[in-house]
Amino acid sequence: MKGLEEANSLKRDLELTIKALSESYEELSLLYSMTSELLGLDPDDISMRVLLLAERIFGYKKSAILFLDKAKNLYPKAWRGELNPEDLLKDKTLIFKAIKDKKTRAFCKLLNGGGEEVSILISPIIGKSSEIGALIVLESPPKEFFANEIKLINTLTSQAGLFIENSILYSEFETLLTGSINCLIKALEASSPWTAGHTERVVHYAMAIGREMGLPRDELERLKIASLLHDIGKIGVPEYLLNKPGKLDEEESLIIKGHTQKAEEILLPLKHCSNIIEEIKYHHERWDGQGFFGLRGEEIPLIARIIAVADAFDAMTTDRPYRKRLSFEDAVEEIERSSGAQFDPEIVKAFLRWFSRQHQASLF
Amino acid sequence: MKKKKIMVIDDEPFISMMIEDKFKDNFQVLSIRDSTLALDAIKKEKPDLIILDWMMPRVSGLDILKSIKAEPELKEIPVFMLTAKGQEDDELAGLKYGAERYITKPFSPRELLELVIERLGRS
Repeated sequence: MKGLEEANSLKRDLELTIKALSESYEELSLLYSMTSELLGLDPDDISMRVLLLAERIFGYKKSAILFLDKAKNLYPKAWRGELNPEDLLKDKTLIFKAIKDKKTRAFCKLLNGGGEEVSILISPIIGKSSEIGALIVLESPPKEFFANEIKLINTLTSQAGLFIENSILYSEFETLLTGSINCLIKALEASSPWTAGHTERVVHYAMAIGREMGLPRDELERLKIASLLHDIGKIGVPEYLLNKPGKLDEEESLIIKGHTQKAEEILLPLKHCSNIIEEIKYHHERWDGQGFFGLRGEEIPLIARIIAVADAFDAMTTDRPYRKRLSFEDAVEEIERSSGAQFDPEIVKAFLRWFSRQHQASLF
Repeated sequence: MKKKKIMVIDDEPFISMMIEDKFKDNFQVLSIRDSTLALDAIKKEKPDLIILDWMMPRVSGLDILKSIKAEPELKEIPVFMLTAKGQEDDELAGLKYGAERYITKPFSPRELLELVIERLGRS
């Protein structure tokens, strides 16, 4: 008999172990899917993905993520299912308490506004150094939230907190970076009033071409920064040389080359800009290899080739001291004529597609 | 109502024990650890759904999948393939040979149960 008892007790132990391992495995799988699904997203997308994950794993039908704003007021960021997120905000005491205590709380059989019984789960979303908000799950008819379920939800929200915080920090950093770059541009353009707005327009045209060509998001980001900074090397180069019509003599040519070279010197200390230096340095190269550095075709970085078209188009369509501006149509024709010589034909095609669409839109 | 029959073919004992534990309230679960016995067991038991691991010694999951799909009386049985992370090529091959779903390890046992219930209904 003793042997049988022992065997039964071993069997029970094994079952418990399997259950415990199974929960750990569940947690591991959750962490895996979070890392691959949430990386690189913005806070809105992260919030929605977290709700979808919770729905997929726990079958939740009504859930929401609330964020705290700067004044510590809660507002709905994302929600799923038939629920009015505003209703959740009517009684915020429980939510604030969960955030303050940094603890997931479950309440069974609460009465909601309509006198209906509901269960509610509140899991705070907290980053390393900031309170972000909370995940709320509603169950009606009410149900019990089990301990292992709460533990998993905790894993979900604490990871989400880190991802969201990172994403916020990253976008703040980007704002700071673009702000600093804009300062540099303003300083550059202040010295020659007639090119004011040139950078802004080149960015606009270059981005339009980039989107038309279907560049991925990170390439578009690089294109934006590179086109913002494309003329940074002009600091210290005489303007009259940069826009001189006709052929340049050897000495003038060297000075002009200096402008793109100078960009490299200016940007080198900026770590974040190190991946666009070549793009800026070679934006005056020509597709046929007749440019300053003699690079030809695809030897010229793609972003530099795009900026070349955008830059030329803006230069042609704005007044310069030595000539009046061309009409948009004439400038487009000029670009088309230089396709394959000065410019990459594929980029010219994308530019023409974008332009004709703009043009048509403005006719109606 | 009689519980529907799920066959789990995986050489890792923990995976099949975990699935057994998770599924036992809703389904009858049969586990096969030795993939060389799998095809005969399928023919004999005619399960309603098969959860099949990709990476197994001797006879692989893909081999078994191909054999299932080649047998007229077995080929309608839905097969969910389990496989390790980062084997996207396998996913394509698995789908090409007729796996209905492809589930990456580590998977969520809850989610797997939901998927099976979704496919077969709750018994």
